[in-house]
Amino acid sequence: MKRNLVFLLILTLLVVMIAGCSQPATQDETVVIYQNKVEIHEQLTAFAAAYKEATGKEVIVKTSGGDSPYAEALRAEFQSDRQPDIFVIEGMGGYNTWESKLQPYEGDEWIDLTTLEFIVDGKIIGFPVAVEAWGMAYNVDLLEQAGVDPSTLTSQEAYRAAFEKIDSMKDELGISSVVAMAAGPDMRWVTGLHNFNGYLSAGLPYGDTTVLDKLNNGEADMQRLTEYADWVELLFEYADRTVLLTGNYDSQVSQFGTGKAVFIHQGNWIDPWLQENGVDFPMAFAPHASVKGTHEKIFIGAPSFYVLNNESKNQEAARNFLNFMATDPAGHNYMVTEANMVPAFTNVTLTPAAPLSANVTEWLAKDAAYTWLQNDMPDGFGMGTIAPIYEAFAKGDIDKAQFIEQLAAKIDEIK
Amino acid sequence: MNKRIKDNMVFWLFLAPALFSFLVVVIIPFFMGLYYSMTDWTAVAGLEPNWVGLENYKEMFSNLAFRYSFVRTFLFSMLSVITINLVALFFAFLVTREIRFRNFYRAGFFIPNLIGGLVLGYIWQFIFKEVVPAIGGLLGISYIENLLLLANPNLTLMGLIMAFTWQYAGYIMMIYVAALLNVPQELLEASDIDGANFWQKLRNITIPMIAQAFTITSFLTLVNSFKQYDIIVALTAGGPTDIYKGQVVNSTELLAVHIYNIAFKYNRMAEGQARAIVFFLVLSVVSIAQVYYNKQKEIEM
Repeated sequence: MKRNLVFLLILTLLVVMIAGCSQPATQDETVVIYQNKVEIHEQLTAFAAAYKEATGKEVIVKTSGGDSPYAEALRAEFQSDRQPDIFVIEGMGGYNTWESKLQPYEGDEWIDLTTLEFIVDGKIIGFPVAVEAWGMAYNVDLLEQAGVDPSTLTSQEAYRAAFEKIDSMKDELGISSVVAMAAGPDMRWVTGLHNFNGYLSAGLPYGDTTVLDKLNNGEADMQRLTEYADWVELLFEYADRTVLLTGNYDSQVSQFGTGKAVFIHQGNWIDPWLQENGVDFPMAFAPHASVKGTHEKIFIGAPSFYVLNNESKNQEAARNFLNFMATDPAGHNYMVTEANMVPAFTNVTLTPAAPLSANVTEWLAKDAAYTWLQNDMPDGFGMGTIAPIYEAFAKGDIDKAQFIEQLAAKIDEIK
Repeated sequence: MNKRIKDNMVFWLFLAPALFSFLVVVIIPFFMGLYYSMTDWTAVAGLEPNWVGLENYKEMFSNLAFRYSFVRTFLFSMLSVITINLVALFFAFLVTREIRFRNFYRAGFFIPNLIGGLVLGYIWQFIFKEVVPAIGGLLGISYIENLLLLANPNLTLMGLIMAFTWQYAGYIMMIYVAALLNVPQELLEASDIDGANFWQKLRNITIPMIAQAFTITSFLTLVNSFKQYDIIVALTAGGPTDIYKGQVVNSTELLAVHIYNIAFKYNRMAEGQARAIVFFLVLSVVSIAQVYYNKQKEIEM
């Protein structure tokens, strides 16, 4: 009898401990948006508050920081009971991970206002958060001083000639190298993702994924790869060795920002850094000449998309919120003026204040875009697998032939 | 009901909370991990893992990056254990002598241990990238001025060891200090009278008397070197690259970093788990062997 009582006690104890872990069921109509941009958290929260004032619907903004931890935090969020109604994916990689959780959009107003929505098998999966772009950003003043017309920079030959000319005028221009380029351990996204995207999409029509599809089947386009290696070699040759091999984001951007380099291999996301540090010379983008031929486009795309959770009970409210953002002047004001983003929507008339972002809107208006395919490679391929090969090439540990051979070998391993 | 059963029951009842927690947070996850390491699990909600047997383990041992990482981790650990213990012992001797401000020195040597590994990594990154070239410039030695320390695989490993030693030696020093203060003074005085010099005293009295401290310090430094993660992430991000058997590899991607990258960067959770299991086994064997060996050297008073 007593023994049973003790067992009962232990059992109750266990039940209480387990019950203590569970959570109360999720509440009412509140939309939870779980996003990954720390820098716009406050602005988005303010916009959500304005939305509540206008419509009476509550939206809670949750943010998980920096670059990489978001994926892990989101996973934890899903394992727990606090599934968000809207969350963020970054291209195909994210799609493959979250496929079973996604609810496509249908008939939403914003769909007709953009060309950059995320589509898989004809289903509209993602709402473009913002447009970003990269090319060879240049310092307009320095380029003028060197007597190079940026509109001629459309091929590898033109770039080589311009680089040679600028390099010979180093002292006159007060620069330490022609290009601010980084290939070190901290900067693997620059080489393994952005630069390599030139191999995947430069010179091809927008949306063409033939080279990417081949890569995902473990096949390398040797002709393109050889031409592309020339471009990488050219960039590395005219880069500052310290920044190239051990530089981080700050040292790369500051080399450009302090006028110590004419070009920088970065995108319009460097605008806030430049503004904070009082950089005010005019600048714009020139195309990457990643392979042979003439190039008159820069890499434009939406890095991330708001997607709907198919288990959410507030899908209607969530979609209304996104529509409001894309169609209402308050939404435009939030995206352009408050959050300093380049919206993907054609009905937006505001122009960003920052020079590179403003330049992106010009390219976007000309429809001069190469596709972003760097996020559609297998997980970890860009930054983990191939980026170290760039670093070894930059250091001179391997030569161009080995560089091509090793890249091809890594592509072959995907099979 | 007799008393023995009752005593037994009270025993287990009092043990139950601890046993339960241990079971829930250690034992069950361990066996779950063992199971996941033999599946193709990716941690996506709603996807059922498939059983793949020992496939992940086979893949691991044929993976060049993993083998390289293994070798580098051993190298790093062995060198760290030696430098940390030497530096710590040296400091411990210094601060147990009759010198002025010795408590100040003790605190000073200990303080780096209170700085988080990430912060410390960035500090040392700054030192290697900015301060070292600046010193080279001041001295007019162009080799040092143009030295890209963090682009050279072996120098970077040395740099990591230096940063880790700087962080950890103070803590280990405290253990040695406690041990040194417990060495019986009468033995040392007796040997003085017998005319023993410093080295003879050190070898025949001090070292044997602090053998217990060696057991614990070697264990701590060994295990912590093996598991080193945060300093590496902040200081080198796994780089720079090295060439190993014709392949490009990351020279400071030691095991803990490697496992994290496989699991989270490549999203191959199950493979990462398999590597973690092997990591656990190797670390257990090495540390048990070390403790067993050191225990034999200890003497009882």
